[in-house]
Amino acid sequence: MTQDDTFMAAEYVLGLLDVSEHSAAQTRLRVDAGFSRAVADWEEYFAEMTADIAPVAPSVQVKRALEQRLFSQPATPWWAGVGFWRGLSFASLALVAVLGWQAMTPVSDAAGPLYPATIASVEGDFRVVVVVDKSVNQITLTRTAGAAPAGRILQVWAHGENAPATSVGLWPEGDTVTLPLTPVIADVTGILTIGVSEEPPGGSVTGSPSGRVFGTVDIPGVRDGI
Amino acid sequence: MANSRQDIENWIAKTAMGDRAAFNQLYDATCAKLLGVSLRILKDRAAAEDAMQDSYVKIWKNADRYSANGLSPMTWLITIARNTSIDRLRAGKNMTELGDVYDRIPCDARGPEELAVARSEAERIISCMGELEPKRRDAIEGAYFGGKSYADLADQFEIPLNTMRTWLRRGLQSLRDCMAR
Repeated sequence: MTQDDTFMAAEYVLGLLDVSEHSAAQTRLRVDAGFSRAVADWEEYFAEMTADIAPVAPSVQVKRALEQRLFSQPATPWWAGVGFWRGLSFASLALVAVLGWQAMTPVSDAAGPLYPATIASVEGDFRVVVVVDKSVNQITLTRTAGAAPAGRILQVWAHGENAPATSVGLWPEGDTVTLPLTPVIADVTGILTIGVSEEPPGGSVTGSPSGRVFGTVDIPGVRDGI
Repeated sequence: MANSRQDIENWIAKTAMGDRAAFNQLYDATCAKLLGVSLRILKDRAAAEDAMQDSYVKIWKNADRYSANGLSPMTWLITIARNTSIDRLRAGKNMTELGDVYDRIPCDARGPEELAVARSEAERIISCMGELEPKRRDAIEGAYFGGKSYADLADQFEIPLNTMRTWLRRGLQSLRDCMAR
């Protein structure tokens, strides 16, 4: 980092750069970890200037409007999400085809008890195909892109609506893992959310995801196994 | 701030998993601070509440990208609120949009010691800002809270644009020197 880069980082944070300089800096932030750190440092410093700003309680309507905006729409079904279709690699397609065929076999029961879904990171560097089998209360995950960073492992999380995420189990190695659902998660009906994070060996010590959460997926309409 | 850094990080992590209860707690614990920041920038209650609402929509949608960016949780939240408010202030003025704070390459994770150093540095900026020549401090605050461009600042201080840039950079240099002491 040159002196000029350091100033550039500060000017970026303050919003002093013109449109082309600003977008050049944004591009650089995606590839240059040193510049990203310099920007984060200035953000940290300047945010401290807000220390003397007194909190102002917003009106209750703001929270109501926010909840309306975020939660009034029903969750997108897994098969309608772009991510699911984009997420299907050849291998996962084969997996879903086999498992999907099993699910479809009892025609009278077309909605389950097998629920396939995809977890994909927004950055596109991590993707997992998930199949929840409610007939035996198991979850199978298959990696089709990405991995835990060196010295870290993957951990699988789940929760029902308005419930905190709980650990389903660790995924220390391999492309595929099958885990029994914990009793709490096996009891979830309605929307079941599955997520994957990277954690220290042995798993998160906080009981919640502590490392990067690669992504989550909401599986709607989950019912009890038969 | 009554809530610890750990509380706020936990709520953000659970929000990233789509946990509405955790998001609710995060909102309750931080909304008054973020509204204070938006109000300082927009100086209008209704506009500030709108900006704050937009900020929480971004927080809900991007909570999964928090852990990678190397910021303390309050700085992440405050920066989203500040940028959203500045963009609203600048709307229609043909100025740079500050945009998002999440689309970045991850910084190396800092150890606890480094975090402690960064924290005390951040706290020191208040006293270092106090040591700045008042006009330079006004210029930096005018950019951070007022969304002012170099051109706006040059007008305000009645000096040429290039001089303004050199002059503000000198202020930044003094800040860095002060914080390195």
